[in-house]
Amino acid sequence: MGKSWLRGYITKRLIYAVIIAWGILTVTFILVRVGPTSPADRYLANIAAGGHDVTQAVAAIEARYGVDKPILVQYADYMGNLFQGNWGWSFSTSMPVTELIKTHWIYSFQLILLSSLFAAFLGILIGIYSAVKQYTKADYTFTFFSFVGISIPNFWLGIMLILIFSVKLGLFKTYYDTTLPLFSIDNLKALVLPVITLGTGMLAGYVRYTRSAMLDNLRKAFVTTARAKGLPERTVIGKHVFRNALLPLITIIMFDLGSIVFGGAYLTEIIFGIPGLGQVSFNAIFANDYPVVIAVTLIGTFIVLLVNLITDITYTYLDPRIRYD
Amino acid sequence: MDNVSLKVSNLRTHFLTRRGIVKAVDGVDFELRRGECLCLVGESGCGKTVTALSILRLFDSPPGKIVGGQISYDGLDLAKCSLRQLRQIRGKDIAIVFQEAQSALNPVLTIGDQIIEQIKLHLPLDYSMARDRTISLLSEMGIPSAKRVLSYYPHQLSGGMKQRVLIAMSLSCDPQILIADEPTTAVDVTIKAQILDIFHELKASRQLSTIFITHDLAVVAEIGDRAVIMYGGKDVETAPVSEIINNPKHPYTSGLIECLPDVSKTADRLASIPGTTPNPIEMPKGCAFHPRCPKAMKICKQQEPPEIITSKEHKVSCHLYT
Amino acid sequence: MTERLRDIVRRISRPPSNSTRLINYYWQRTRRNKLAIFGLTFIIFLVLLAVVGPFFTLDPTLVDFENKNLPPVGFTIEQSVYNTETDDFITTKVSGTWNHPLGTDSKGRDMLAMLISGARVSMLVGLIATGIAIILGTIIGVLSAYLGGWVDNVLMRLTDIMMTFPFFILLVLIVFIFGPSLVIIVLAIGLTGWTGTARLLRSEALSLRTREFITAAKAMGASDNRVIFRHLIPNVISLIIVIATLAIPGVILAEAALSFIGLGDPTVPSWGIILEAGQNSLRTAWWVAVEPGIMIFLTVLAFNFLGDGLRDAFDPKSNI
Repeated sequence: MGKSWLRGYITKRLIYAVIIAWGILTVTFILVRVGPTSPADRYLANIAAGGHDVTQAVAAIEARYGVDKPILVQYADYMGNLFQGNWGWSFSTSMPVTELIKTHWIYSFQLILLSSLFAAFLGILIGIYSAVKQYTKADYTFTFFSFVGISIPNFWLGIMLILIFSVKLGLFKTYYDTTLPLFSIDNLKALVLPVITLGTGMLAGYVRYTRSAMLDNLRKAFVTTARAKGLPERTVIGKHVFRNALLPLITIIMFDLGSIVFGGAYLTEIIFGIPGLGQVSFNAIFANDYPVVIAVTLIGTFIVLLVNLITDITYTYLDPRIRYD
Repeated sequence: MDNVSLKVSNLRTHFLTRRGIVKAVDGVDFELRRGECLCLVGESGCGKTVTALSILRLFDSPPGKIVGGQISYDGLDLAKCSLRQLRQIRGKDIAIVFQEAQSALNPVLTIGDQIIEQIKLHLPLDYSMARDRTISLLSEMGIPSAKRVLSYYPHQLSGGMKQRVLIAMSLSCDPQILIADEPTTAVDVTIKAQILDIFHELKASRQLSTIFITHDLAVVAEIGDRAVIMYGGKDVETAPVSEIINNPKHPYTSGLIECLPDVSKTADRLASIPGTTPNPIEMPKGCAFHPRCPKAMKICKQQEPPEIITSKEHKVSCHLYT
Repeated sequence: MTERLRDIVRRISRPPSNSTRLINYYWQRTRRNKLAIFGLTFIIFLVLLAVVGPFFTLDPTLVDFENKNLPPVGFTIEQSVYNTETDDFITTKVSGTWNHPLGTDSKGRDMLAMLISGARVSMLVGLIATGIAIILGTIIGVLSAYLGGWVDNVLMRLTDIMMTFPFFILLVLIVFIFGPSLVIIVLAIGLTGWTGTARLLRSEALSLRTREFITAAKAMGASDNRVIFRHLIPNVISLIIVIATLAIPGVILAEAALSFIGLGDPTVPSWGIILEAGQNSLRTAWWVAVEPGIMIFLTVLAFNFLGDGLRDAFDPKSNI
C-alpha cells in the first residue's frame, strides 16, 4: 500500500488546474474586450482640453495598447504577457502592477490569516460544544447567534464597530495606521476591529459547519466502541469524533475562501483603510486603472485554484479511504 | 456467591422519547458465573442489546436512563456508580465486542492506534510494549502478518478480519468479562464458523466469563453454557442450554426452537412464530407474549406471570406453571 | 452566494407529486420551526412595505436643508450650527420629531421614506438576480446530467472555472467594466451566481435519472423533453425552493456591498447606497449608517431562518 498512485494524481490535478487557469484568463479577456470602455477613455478629457484631435489621439493610444490589432493577436499578446509576468502598468500609481502587488499583498495576508485563525479556533470549539450539547439551551443560543453572524453584513458590522469603539469610546483609531511595523503589538491592536469584522461571518459559518459535521459522527458505532474502551469523553470527542468530522469541515472551510473570505477582506480593507489588495483594487476602480483591477481579480482566483489543489492533496493524507484514480 | 462474576437484578432501562417512554429493558434478572458462556437470546427489539449496553452504561443518554435495578460487579453497583469509576471498568474489567465490525472501528485511525490506545489507557505499559502486546494478540486471533496490520486502516481489511481485530481489541487488557453483541450476525457463514471457533478457543485458554448475545439458537447450542431467553424487555426463561433445547418450558422458547431448520425432517416451509414483537411503548397488559401465544389463557391478558422455579437450574415466567 | 449551498443543501428528493397534500405536509413541518415562521412573517411584512409603503411616506428624494441630520424619534444630539450673524459656531440640541420618525440624512431627506424605497430596490434585485441564477443553474445542471458525454464535460468545466473566481471580486470587475447601473448589477449577480445550483441539480438529476419512475416513463416512450420537464424538474422543485430562499440573502448582501464601495447605481437609493453615504457622517449622524444596516441584516436573517426551516422540512436528515 504505497502512495505511488499519488504522483499520477497530482500530475492530473496540475494539468486540470492549468486548464482552469487558462479558462479564467480567457473569461477575463472576454470581459475586458466586450466591455464598453477603452484604455483611451481616461485621456479623452485631457486630450480635448488640450485642443488636440481626439480621433487621432485615441487611435494612437489604442495602437500603443495594441487594441487595434486583430482580436486573436490581442488574445495571444494578453496571454503571453501575463505568462511572462508582465502584468501591465498601473497609471494611477505609476509603477508596474507586479510591483504594486508586491508592496501590498502582506496587508491582505495578515488580515486574512489572523481572521481565519480567530474564526477557525473559536468556531470549531463552539461548534463541537454545541454538537455535544445538542438540543440544550446553550446549543440553541449558539445556533441562534451563528445565524446572526452569517446574516450580519460585514461592512456594516465594521462601521458599527468603528462607531462604538472608535467614535464613541475612543478605544481604537478609526483608521488603520500604515506606519506601524508589521510585527508589533501596536499593529496587532490596530487589527483587532478589522479581524472581528472579517472574522465574525467566518466564525458563524464554522460554528454551523463544525456542529453539523460533529453531529453526523457523534452517533456512529465507533464512538460507542471508543467509550467502551474506557476512554475519557475528551478523547472520545476530540480524537475519535473530531478526526472524522475534520474532512467535510476542511472542504467547506476551503470553499469559503473564495466566496466569503476574499469578498469580506476586500470590504474590510476599504472600511478600515488597510492598504491591502482590496484597497488597491478599490482605489484603482476610481482611477479607472484597468490593469490593477484585473490583476487583483486574477490573483484572488489563482489563490483559490491553488488552495483547492492543496486541499485535494491534503485529503489523501487525512482520509485513508480516499483514492483518486 | 464467589462463583458469580456479575449479577443483574431487576434492571430497567428506559428511553424517554418524544412519542413516549420506551421500556427497552423492564425488569431483567440474571447472573453470570465465572468462566461460563451465558447467552442472551431473543428476537430483535427484545432488549438484549440494551441490556448489554446498560452493563457499561453505553446507551445514548439522553434519551436513555437506567431507572431501576442493580448491576453488581466486584462489590460495585454499575447501575449507580460514578462515570469515573465506570470508565476504569470499561475495556479493562468488562469488554464488549460489537455487532458490525465495519462500523465499530474508527475509519480514520489505524488498527494499531485503536488497540494500543486502549492498552496504554489501562495497563502500565509504554508504547513499544503495548505495540508488542497488540501484535501478539492479533496473531493469537489468527490474523496473518499482524505487524503489518498495525498500520492498516479498517477499510483495508475484510469483514472477518475486522471482527477478529475487534475481538483482539476487547481482549487487550485481559478483561474478566467479555460481552459479545451478536458478533456473528453481520458476517457470512464461513466467517461465522471461524469466529465461533475463536470463542471456543478463548473459553479453553482463558478464564473468561462471556455474555453472548444472539437471536440464533443454533449458535447458542454450539457455544452457550446457559441461556436467558428475553421477550419484551424481560427475561422469560433461564436454564442450561441443554434444558432450553430439549425441555423448553415457555411457549416462546418452544416457538423459537420450532423455528430452527431441521435437516432430518423435510418441511415445505420454515416454521415461524406468528405476529410481531410488541410495541415497546405500549406493551400488552399481562404477559407481553400473550397476543402471539398459542397457549394463552384468560389470566395471561390480565396478570403478569410470576417467576417460577421448576428445577434447581431452570426458571420460567409463565402462567402455565402456576 | 449559492456556492455555499453546495455543501449546505443535501439530498432533497421526493417522488413526483404536485398534490396539495404534500405541500400541506411540508407546511406542517415548516410551521413547527418558530424561527422560520418569524422569517416568513418578516419577509411578508417587507414585501407589503415595499409594495404599498411608498404611497404613505414622504418623497424620499425631497431635499430639505432646514431639517438636515435630524435624529430618530426619542434621540437628542448636539449639533454645531454656523450662525451668520454672530459669525460663530453655536451648539444646539436637536431632538427627533414625528415628522421624520427615523430622522433625516445630511440633505434633510426622510430616512423612513428612503428605507422603504430602498426595500423595493433590494427585494427586486434579490428576486430577479436569484431568479436568473437559478433558472440558468437549473438548465445547465439538468442538461449536463441528462445529456452527459461531452456536453456534461464542457458545462462542468465551465462551472469549475466560474466557481474558482472569488464571487465578490468577480462582481467588482464586471460592474467596473460595464458600468454601475442596476441592470448590469442584477445581470452580473445572476450570470455569476448559477454555479452552485448547477452542481447541485446535476448531481440530483443524476441520482434521479436512475430511479424507477424515470425508467418507467422512458419505457413508456416519453420523449427527452417530456422526461425532463414532466418528471425531472418537478422532482427537484423542492430543492430549488430551498436554494432560492438561501440564495436571496447573498444577492441582497452583494448588491449592498457593491453599492457600499461605490459601484452601486447612483440613481437608485438602495440600502447599500444609503449606508455608503452614512459612513461618511458617522460623527454627525450615526443613524444614517445604522438604519439601512439593520434593515439589510434583518432581511438577510429572515431569509436564512426561512431557508433553514424549509430545508429541515424537506430533508429532516440534514442538520446544518
